[in-house]
Amino acid sequence: MPVIRDIPLSLKTREVLRRQGLGGGAKVRPEIKSLIRELLASVKKARLLEPAVAYECYTVSSMNGSQISLEGDKAIHGPLIPAIFPEAKKLAIILCTIGPRLEKQVTDYSKSGETMRGMILDGIGSTAVDMLVPEALRLIASEVSSRDYETSSPVNPGMPGFPLTEQWNLLGLVNADEIGVSLTASGVLVPRKSTSMVIGIGPKMTRWTEAEVCARCSLRETCHYKVTG
Amino acid sequence: MAKDLVNTLADLKEQEAIEIVKDRLSAGDDPFKIMEDARKGMEIVGKRFSESEYFIPDLVYSGEILRVVTELVKPKLTKTTESKKLGKVVFGTVAGDIHDIGKDIVVFMLDVNGFEVHDLGVDIPAQKFVEKIKETGAPIVGLSGFLTLAFDSMKETVEAIKAAGLRDKVKVMIGGGQMSDEIKNYTGADAYGKDAMAGVSLAKKWTGVG
Ligand code: B12
Ligand code: SF4
Repeated sequence: MPVIRDIPLSLKTREVLRRQGLGGGAKVRPEIKSLIRELLASVKKARLLEPAVAYECYTVSSMNGSQISLEGDKAIHGPLIPAIFPEAKKLAIILCTIGPRLEKQVTDYSKSGETMRGMILDGIGSTAVDMLVPEALRLIASEVSSRDYETSSPVNPGMPGFPLTEQWNLLGLVNADEIGVSLTASGVLVPRKSTSMVIGIGPKMTRWTEAEVCARCSLRETCHYKVTG
Repeated sequence: MAKDLVNTLADLKEQEAIEIVKDRLSAGDDPFKIMEDARKGMEIVGKRFSESEYFIPDLVYSGEILRVVTELVKPKLTKTTESKKLGKVVFGTVAGDIHDIGKDIVVFMLDVNGFEVHDLGVDIPAQKFVEKIKETGAPIVGLSGFLTLAFDSMKETVEAIKAAGLRDKVKVMIGGGQMSDEIKNYTGADAYGKDAMAGVSLAKKWTGVG
């Protein structure tokens, strides 16, 4: 089961700002911008990011309205994936993490009353784990391109039609141990700055942008972090 | 002069606000009046936030300025003028959930706004909330949660408070990523707060100061 590390991440201030609810041209205080720059430098210096991705591709054997069956008696449940990837020949299960160091520093900042630093560093961590996703997708896309297959955009457990309980299933389908990711008894990924997802692979796959996901999300009216345009 | 601190704080000019406070203290100004101006400045910050002129980072920044101002003024407050805490709040992320930053922001904002906050941490079993409410006599409880997984835990926490005979003595607010008014009804809480400012406003309303 493939594992990738040493993924170069170049974090943009603009992306960090969006995760503070300061996207879409909001007026940003210079103090906040300079704190972001300072924290981005300290993240590098203290090596707070330990990006790692584990993934595995499985051949689709059959599907119905509520699940997709995979080779080796495995299956992914919930109506979302069969509905949006009816043409998938394979599915890739992907698990991304930036490791535990950054979030430990966030907790330490909060505990010592440095809430602003904690909050911005937390947003940097969210940006970093989000940025791992396109890296992983690029890699898988280049692997499957030789067979003239395309890759879809990702879907995550927790989206409507893809229950969060599928997290246990997904973690069993990739080498989660190898990258130090596990689930708590209640189903929260540890380290917290981790994400799990599934993509469809086949001759013609659908892709969508982050803004399109937000446009369809039930939280779009109130969400501070949405991507527009 | 008094007007300056109000507006300087409202405009989030940290260094200027600190200078004004220092000058006023050395000029022998009433420390209680200084705190009163700081409070008025924070009110404007809250208003600008509700009008989407300010955002969460601005809010937290205003809290950090207020904390520095309070530290400067505190030694000058006599026993009689010392501002009393507005009320006690027991706060935590519910059992099964380990997310802390959202909770920490609300706890921080409640604290700088004058509440005595007992932060239990993350993954807190219902019984721990009950014990802390009994121990502190806090009339306000804040429950934080990130994923839908937290809904049942919140409901169980509210039920445990009820089973302990404390439900009519406390007001419960919930908040975090997936919470909403609908979930408030499901969990049996009294209110849902969409952000840290909403948490502060609810606490003020429930203690009769806002
Ligand atoms: C950034 C983000 C991530 C990041 C960082 C996560 C983290 N917390 O570290 C990453 C990319 C890692 C991530 C991962 C996941 N996420 Co996510 N994530 C978000 C997002 C966009 C913002 C959350 C955030 O960090 N906000 C910043 C903090 C500061 O805000 P906050 O915690 O909400 O707190 C504020 C308020 O809510 C409030 N507040 C908080 N507590 C309280 C309490 C009271 C009493 C009051 C009054 C107020 C209050 O005040 C705070 C400050 O204003 C939300 C969507 C959203 N709009 O909330 C989705 C969201 C929460 N994630 C979601 C999902 C599904 C996931 C994953 C399960 C996806 C996956 N399969 O991998 C994983 C789970 C991760 C895990 N550890 O288990 C879903 C949840 C759906 C569900 N069914 O529960 C959401 C809602 C997105 C969506 N629309 O689908 N996520
Ligand atoms: S609108 Fe929905 S999809 Fe977009 S960032 Fe917010 S929670 Fe995520």
